[in-house]
Amino acid sequence: MIRDAKKEWLIALTLIAPFAAIYGLVFVYPTIDMFLLSFTDAPLIGAGDYVGLENYTRLTSDRRFDTAVWNTAWFVVLSVIPGTFVALGIALAVSRLSGRLQTAVLALFFLPYILPVSVIYLIWDWTLNFQFGIAMHIFDALGIDRIPVFKSATWFIPAVALITVWWTCGFNVLLFLAGLRAIPQEIYEAAALDNAGRWKTFSRVTWPLLWPITALNFTIQLILQMKIFDQVYLFSQGGRPNDNLVMVYYIFQRAFQNNHGGRAAAVAVVLFFIVIVVSVLNFQLMRFAERKQ
Amino acid sequence: MADIVLDHVSKSFGKVRVIDDLSLTVQSGEFIVFLGPSGSGKSTLLRMIAGLETIDRGRLLIGGRECQTVAPGQRNVAMVFQNYALYPHMTVRENMVFGLRNIGMASDEIRRRVEEAARILEMDQLLDRRPSQLSGGQRQRVAIGRAIVKEPAAFLFDEPLSNLDAALRVRTRVELAELHHRIGTTMIYVTHDQTEAMTMADRIVVLNDCRIEQVGTPMEVYTAPASRFVAGFIGSPAMNFLPVEVINSDGQALATLDDGSTIGLPPDIAGRGRLDLGVRPENVGIVGEGGMTTGKVKVVEHLGDRTIVYVVLGDGTPVTAQTGGHSQVRAGEVVGLTFDVEGARLFGTDGLAQDQAAAI
Repeated sequence: MIRDAKKEWLIALTLIAPFAAIYGLVFVYPTIDMFLLSFTDAPLIGAGDYVGLENYTRLTSDRRFDTAVWNTAWFVVLSVIPGTFVALGIALAVSRLSGRLQTAVLALFFLPYILPVSVIYLIWDWTLNFQFGIAMHIFDALGIDRIPVFKSATWFIPAVALITVWWTCGFNVLLFLAGLRAIPQEIYEAAALDNAGRWKTFSRVTWPLLWPITALNFTIQLILQMKIFDQVYLFSQGGRPNDNLVMVYYIFQRAFQNNHGGRAAAVAVVLFFIVIVVSVLNFQLMRFAERKQ
Repeated sequence: MADIVLDHVSKSFGKVRVIDDLSLTVQSGEFIVFLGPSGSGKSTLLRMIAGLETIDRGRLLIGGRECQTVAPGQRNVAMVFQNYALYPHMTVRENMVFGLRNIGMASDEIRRRVEEAARILEMDQLLDRRPSQLSGGQRQRVAIGRAIVKEPAAFLFDEPLSNLDAALRVRTRVELAELHHRIGTTMIYVTHDQTEAMTMADRIVVLNDCRIEQVGTPMEVYTAPASRFVAGFIGSPAMNFLPVEVINSDGQALATLDDGSTIGLPPDIAGRGRLDLGVRPENVGIVGEGGMTTGKVKVVEHLGDRTIVYVVLGDGTPVTAQTGGHSQVRAGEVVGLTFDVEGARLFGTDGLAQDQAAAI
């Protein structure tokens, strides 16, 4: 059969066009518009005047922006690293089970992941609420002072990070489990014959062979957690939102509560670049580490 | 070098019994092959020796030491897996070194052993490559190398050639036999390929249905199969089994085929009555006239050095004959058949060879 290059091009274009059109409309266009908006003093709705880099220079002395950046970074550290290791630990434990028991235990760990954030909020509010939280009753019984977890700037981010790890680690467990299953059983048998104990087998066989999955897991979580908003928003209700600000919450505040479309766009652009730089950096670091192994 | 003794060992997976009260002694320095069809328990038996499967009952002695409760790494055996099981993230050298480091061997000794193994297996050039950069044959070498550097009491091979192409399989087979001659260590080799078993083994252990059917040298197993199963499993094409009635007539044993023709058997052959006469295809002759019986040729296979002729007797019994490479026999012809009964065996309805049954 002779290939008709022109026809093939036409078919390819027809197939790609719907996606390209939607992608352009809902991603490329708003992104470009956001960049343009960040150089104006536009309100939430409607156009504004060009103000140059003013929205950006203002950020350097913006206390709330400062809080948002550090809180986001702190949250990422507290959720991504423990989240990865907790998921790895659970996956290693679950992989030792077999049959229906494994499925049942896996389902238990995965269950929180399917819950919407509002339900997560309710569950943990019932648990950690200063007045009526179950944990507080346990604190009372143990003679420990009650902690106003969601009202204290010290405890807020660690608590939300813990809740996020609890909520999302089911998915990470699944990824790790898939990675573990991809390692042939024979390799472990060879390691057993090579006199490798449990720790040696993990550190010299499982961990290196699981590295691509760990890197993937880490990167996915990193991107996801830098965009944290829902949990912080919900748990801040009635608390101290300005102390608990994270980047996306700050964008929301600026745009929807302060009616500063231009300034919100500037923060969004900064977040956009942070996400890109951190993800690329993370990816390169992971590759470097893999080569070193 | 060490002898390996299996003393009444049993193994079950749930309710399924895979090894049933099996006893076997592998002599020190011996090359022994576990041969059997899929599901016969041969790989399980090897894995029990390696420690990768637990032993439910019985004792395992390696070099006189009781090992049934010892961890795999402490048994002083090395295994070559069917899929090689090389560590994909380590170089060839690291693959070989891993096990030695784990027992805290001095690095000078490790270097000496790796160099020695690389020299024996001619893989000096491959030491810094990863398994993904090697061909199937090279990976096989590395797997063997990883076993050699341990200088174990025994090597265990689990169908190590089954992933290689035909030519490479033959070459590696010869190399393995050479290796055994050179280092003289006890080797246990699992295969379902009778050619591998016949060419390499000092002794063959034929396994079927969770138990040992026969243990013997390749020629013993071939010429004096202890059971109908062994007779049918070893040899290609397989042995013919002719239903016969064996009677004594004037001091001579006579076998009557179902088509009415009779074959004179050696007088000392054990067994009388309704039996199966086992005759190897090379002991079946094709003649124009004057045969012991006649049959119709169904298919003729010319293999160059020999010709395989598939014949059906008058009563429907199939007989396979093997003749010289220049046979002129054609499909559809009616031919006469002769049977050289010197090496023939009689099998009872229980599947046992009659002399074996008589011995029991």
